[in-house]
Formats: sequence, C-alpha cells, structure tokens
Amino acid sequence: MRLYRKEGNTIQILALPSEDVEKGEYLLIEDPTAHRSLITQVIDIQFANVPGILEELLRDSTTNESIHEESFDPLGIASHVTYIQDSRLLVCKIRGTMDDEKLSISASWLPSRSQSTIKRLPTTSLLTLAKISDGLPIQLGETNELSPFSIDARALDGKLNIITGKKETGKSHLSKLLVLGLIDYGAAVVVLDLNGEYTHLGFSSNGEKNEHFNKVQVLTPGDNFKITLTQMKLRVMLNVLINALHLPGTSAREFRRIWCFLQEHGTLTLHDLGEAIRNWRCNQHVRDALFSRYYSLLNSGFFTDNPPEATDLEDNFRKIRNGGVLVIDLHDISLVDRQIAVEYVLGKLVELLSQWKIMAVFLLAEEAHLYLRETYWDDIVTRMRHFGVFTTFVTNQPNTIQENIYRQADNVFLFNFTNEHDLETVSRAAKVDAETVKSIARDLPPHHCLVLGRAVKDFPIVVRVKALDVQTMGQTRLFFVNN
Amino acid sequence: MIEQLHYATTPKYNFPQSLQDLQLPQRFIEFSLKSMKKINGECFQPNEITPYEPPRETSEDLTLAFPPHNSFMLQPIPLKPLPDETTIAAVDVSSIKVGETETGVLCALRGAIVWKEKSRYRCLRIGPFPFHITEENKREIYAMLRRFCFKVSGETHAPSLVNMQNRMCSLLERWLQMGVSCSLQRSVILWDGSLTAGTLDSPVKIVSQLLEMARNRLNTVLAFSKVTRLGLSGHRLTDLAWRYPPPSLLQINDFPTQASGTVCFLGNIYVARLTEGSCSFRLDIDREIPWEQELEAVQRLLGNDLFLQSYPETLRLAHIFSTFTANEVIGIQRFIAQKCGLKMVTRPDVRRLLFGPYGKGSEG
Repeated sequence: MRLYRKEGNTIQILALPSEDVEKGEYLLIEDPTAHRSLITQVIDIQFANVPGILEELLRDSTTNESIHEESFDPLGIASHVTYIQDSRLLVCKIRGTMDDEKLSISASWLPSRSQSTIKRLPTTSLLTLAKISDGLPIQLGETNELSPFSIDARALDGKLNIITGKKETGKSHLSKLLVLGLIDYGAAVVVLDLNGEYTHLGFSSNGEKNEHFNKVQVLTPGDNFKITLTQMKLRVMLNVLINALHLPGTSAREFRRIWCFLQEHGTLTLHDLGEAIRNWRCNQHVRDALFSRYYSLLNSGFFTDNPPEATDLEDNFRKIRNGGVLVIDLHDISLVDRQIAVEYVLGKLVELLSQWKIMAVFLLAEEAHLYLRETYWDDIVTRMRHFGVFTTFVTNQPNTIQENIYRQADNVFLFNFTNEHDLETVSRAAKVDAETVKSIARDLPPHHCLVLGRAVKDFPIVVRVKALDVQTMGQTRLFFVNN
Repeated sequence: MIEQLHYATTPKYNFPQSLQDLQLPQRFIEFSLKSMKKINGECFQPNEITPYEPPRETSEDLTLAFPPHNSFMLQPIPLKPLPDETTIAAVDVSSIKVGETETGVLCALRGAIVWKEKSRYRCLRIGPFPFHITEENKREIYAMLRRFCFKVSGETHAPSLVNMQNRMCSLLERWLQMGVSCSLQRSVILWDGSLTAGTLDSPVKIVSQLLEMARNRLNTVLAFSKVTRLGLSGHRLTDLAWRYPPPSLLQINDFPTQASGTVCFLGNIYVARLTEGSCSFRLDIDREIPWEQELEAVQRLLGNDLFLQSYPETLRLAHIFSTFTANEVIGIQRFIAQKCGLKMVTRPDVRRLLFGPYGKGSEG
C-alpha cells in the first residue's frame, strides 16, 4: 500500500488486489522519519484510475461480444496487467495520531509519501490503545477480525444515544444487549416498548427463565398498570389534556379549577371528576370539551378509583434500583392511551429523580415519535438529562428525530441504510463526518453496526452484533410460515 | 538451450498450425528471456506512460524524396463488392519503450493477427515479448532475429540502440506476415504500410520472398498506408481521390518501380477510396499478380469485410489488438521488475531541473 494523496482529512491510499482491505478497517501510516503514525479509517474502496483502462476494457468487451480472441502470452504478462487493472484506491479518513504508543485525536501533520509504510491496524489493537473496552464492558459482538468487541457501560452514562437503521437490520437486538448489559452493572432502565419486544427479556429462547428474570418488570397500561387521579400531578394531567387530548386553553383553565376544587375537598376520583364537570358552572362548549376528554381518560382504562388496583410506580422503581428494567408495554393500545401513559411515566420519573428517590435512569424509547409530544424531545435531551434520565432513541425512520437531537447525540449505533434521504439525515450527527456515515452505513450487512461517538472514543468501529439468547418478541408475524 | 524456465505454448494457441512449425514464438521467448538475463539487480527507470506512442518509422518515410514526375496518368477504377466468403487476414505489430536500465533500454513487442472467416472475426495476439537491449547484446539479438525471421545468416550491422525497438518490431511483423502467407490459401492478406522495399528492415529479397510465398498459395497481399507523403503535381496522393465516387481505386499508371538508391516499389500503387467519408489511403498491391487478380482481390475485400472511413475492419482490429495501453505498460514494468529483481528509480529530469515549467519536450 502506498500513500497517494491527502485532501482535508481525507487520505487516498493505493492498494494492490492482494492487499485485501475492507470498508471500516483501520490503517496505520507509519512515518519512520517523524517517528509517529497516522491512524486512518477506510471509508470507501474504489478502483484506481489506472491510465488506459477504458481503452483496455473497451477492447476486451469487443472480444467478448463479436470477436473470438486467442492469446499467445507465454510469459504470463496478462496476469500482471489484470493485477494492475484491479488495483484499488482506498479513501480513508484521518482519525488520529499515534506518538510513542500514545493516542491523540490530533492530525495536524503530514506523513512522508515516499518514506511512510502502511499496515493494517487490527481493531483489537485500536481498542487497547484507545481503551475502548476498559471499565465496565458490555460485549456487543465482534469486529471484522472476529475479535470480541465491548464498550464501556460508562460511555452511556449521562449520555444521549441513538440506535437507527432500516427495518430488520438488528436495532432491537442491540438495544436488548445494551439493556441487559446495563442492568448487569446495576443500572435502572425504563423501556418504552412500542411493539412488546422487551416483555420477554427474562426468558431464554427456549422459553425458560433466564438470569435476568427477576430484574424484568413489565407494566401494561390498562392492565397491570393503572393509577388513581391522586397519583397524578395536575401538571402532568394538564400535559395529557393539552398535548395528547388537545384540550383548548380556556377549557384547560376550567379543568384546573375543577381539579383544585376536588383536591381541596379530598374527592379527586374519576367518578367525582365526572360529576364536577357535569355540575360546574361554565360555558356549555367548555363543558362539552371537558366531557369529551373526561371520557377519553375513562375509556383509556389507565385510571382507576380503586387504590389497591393502582400501581405505585415508585415501588416499581425501587425494585429496579439495584439493576433492573421496567418495560412499559405500549403495544395493542391506542395512540392517545400511549401518550397518556408515557406522559405519566416521564412525569413521575422526573419527580422521583428530583426528589433523589432514584439515582438515574436509562430510558430506552422505541419509535418515540409515535408517543412523545414534540416539545418533549428538547426536554428529554436537555432538562431531563440533568435530572438523570439518559435516553436512547431507537428508530428506523431517522427523519422522525429532530436535527438538534442528532447534533447532541453522544453515541450513535448505526445500522444499514440504503435510502439517500435517510443517510443524509443520519449524517448530521456531529460525532463523525457525513462521508463516513454515508459510505459505510450504505454497505453494512444485516446485524452489523457502525458505532460512533464516546463509546468508541470517536473511532468509528464496525461491529457484528452478537446473538442473544432471549425470547425475541419483535419478529414480524408471517403468513407463509411453513409453506 | 537457454537456461531459463520452460514456457509451453498455451493450449488455446491453435492458429494456424504452420505458424507453430516456424518455432518463432518459442525463439522470441528465448531471445526475450536471454536479453533480460543479465539485468538482475540493476536500477530501472520506468518510462513515463504516454497514451500515444509515435508511429514507427516505415520504409516509406525513408523514401520521402520521391522524384517529381509529370508523366503519371491517373485512372479511376470503379469497384463492385464481391461477397464470396474469402478469408480476409490482417497483421499488425507494435512496440513500446517501457524503461531504461543502467546499461540499456527495456522495450516490449506484440503482434496481432486478425482474420475474418465465415462472417466471424478471430484474433490471435502474440506477446508481449519484453526485451532488454544493450550496446553489448543488440548485435546478437538483431542477428539472431534476422536469422530466424528471414533465414539469413552472416554479419549484419545492428541499428543504434534508439532504432533497435523499431527494427525488432519490423522483424516480428515480417515473421507474422510470413506465417500468415504460409498458412492461408486463396485469401486476401492485409499489411499495415506499403510494399516499399530496400531498407534495413525490409530488404528487397525478403519482401519479395514474402510476396512470393503468398502468391504460391493464391493469396493476394494488399498493403494499406495510413500516411503517405507521396505526391503528384504538388498534391498529396491521397487527396486526389476526392473527385471519384466510392468505392473506387485511383490507379497511377507508369509509376516507377525504382525510387532513390536501393529503395524500390514491389507493388502497384493506388489510392483507395472504398467508402463514403473523409479518408482515402495509399494501397499497394503485389506487382507480380495479374491486374485482373489485383482488382478482384480489392473487390473481394470490399465484399467480405467491414469498412470504417475506407479502412478495412480486419486491419483496424489488428492495430487495436496489438497496441499497448498505458495499463499494459505498467503491467509489463511490474513483470520485469519482479522477474529480474530490478530496483525502480526515478532519475532527475534534466530539462525540468534546468528549465522548470519551460523544460518541455523529450530530452535528447
């Protein structure tokens, strides 16, 4: 391999066909005169622009089609020519410098083109040099060289993460790995489970209970997850009414009065709320508006007037305090009910965190745009982070996550995308250049993930996500199963 | 036998049987390997790759001083294509300088034979054969090649190192022409160039022999020159065909057989305008065959080959298949460097050093 050219932070390296290099691999450009090395990552592999190649290919295509060609080449020079034809140009991005076994992100120097030698930098060496797998390792899978790959659980602590990729590439699989890895280290995790995929985390693939069984709690709104009105703060209820049930401002003001009235009289129940709305002296339109919302709350099945039937979320959080996952099963419930449940959970979470009743929570939100109101996004990544809610968004529609979320993401776990529009959206992540994202993500095979950000100390690494012995519930139901 | 690896001819090589009988490919390999035997470990400066290699010096170019003559008669001959499945064969060769060593020059030769048989083109590429030519071995190589190509022995004066490449290329071409002449029958054989003889690489005896071999097997040799500087009354010869509709030949009657010195014309010279388009070519046809047969050969060519701008497709393909591309030159350089353990060096360009961006053109 020879250093060919450098432009910005892009380096082009000429490689012969025998020098087998794949996208995502790291190369070390060692300059013996400068006594340091440049660390680069291959982001694209192109054919080298060999002079005369077009003429040759045209000539060869003629012989294939209409001319029968025989060649008397006793010295076998043709093989050398085809060897040159197949030479490649490796487009690489500079990732850092190695100076006396010390790694730095700086790349403000240029290695010698004539003196430098280029060799492959095994990912295992990079992991060791950058101390990526140190600390509290969560094994995610293996690298291109089939060596195990782990990230430090602390790299997710206090961070905003995004897991994205097109359908059936393995996003949920990785999410589960992260969840189980975190709870193994005693972390509390809340999963907003849109498809009921995490409900069986406590079971192995053969249906038997696994070591995580006691650490997994599943709450299904309307089923084993009900609350009384007294458990709900007025602020949260107003959020539900205004954002989920679109209650107008005037009606919301009346509702606030009714709520305070009932609270003062100690009769804050669903039944009394209905009666109060019926008898409240107000405009008929307001009453109608309040009634329609009241019935929505009633029909959600999420509220109960029977205190023993109600769930004490604080109690659930207490159970996972030393490591566990609370799965809020949101599948099979309506959009409005989903929003009500999520508003309540998040509100309660902030309340408990602000009172220091729990330390911190890792929140995993799948397809959050389907239940999270727009104004909550910024709240989650800014205000709630300071309370100790560390969110991981999982989505196969990257454009549903706002641009500022990408910019603030500390870690991105990127699976395959082929759609240009999707790639363009994801490439806005600040942790890496757009070219790397577009070029590598486009060619990632299923179950392969490009890890970007703090977790890999800003050295993007391609990982094959390991298999997980957990009952998977996220598989698509098929009609032609045995045919 | 030369102490070298034994290279067997490829099993695909099945055209025509008599070519193998001449044993020249094997000889060429031997000469090629022998010439490179002594360069082990030398420094090697690869030649800069230029997509265009200047055309070889032909015998015609040596006879530019064609005497002005006023008594020529121009006679247009209209042609009618004669499709009869006659085999059309063409030969072309090319050579390229691939680099320089401390002691000499590295070049490569390749030939191509293309023939159209039963509406299908076939092609045989022979080579490339790399050669390392030095002041020491040039005489030996040249003499041996002459001996095997022309069956002529005895002392001969080898050309200068600069001209060796072209001379060897001509020898390979003559050998291929001989092979085709010997193996085909009742065919039209196309040569690239003219039937001008009497130069170092085209001795009259040899070219005459080649034409005779072709005649004996009822073949007709037609030689197409892409460039001619022969003129008539101040006009380039090929410009005279404009007035006549294609396909036609313009015959120049009373053309002399002898030019200046030893140079002579072994063919009748025509200007061929075979299709519509802007090109016409000088066409030499073996002088020893009857005029009717000459005409019939051109008509058979018209009836059995394709044409692009009056130029036969078979000859065009032969040129294309023999030509070296820049990529092939790099491949040959790599082969030689690996085979002989050469160290690649880049010598400073004196012109560039002295004149900077004004140092254009080749050194010399």
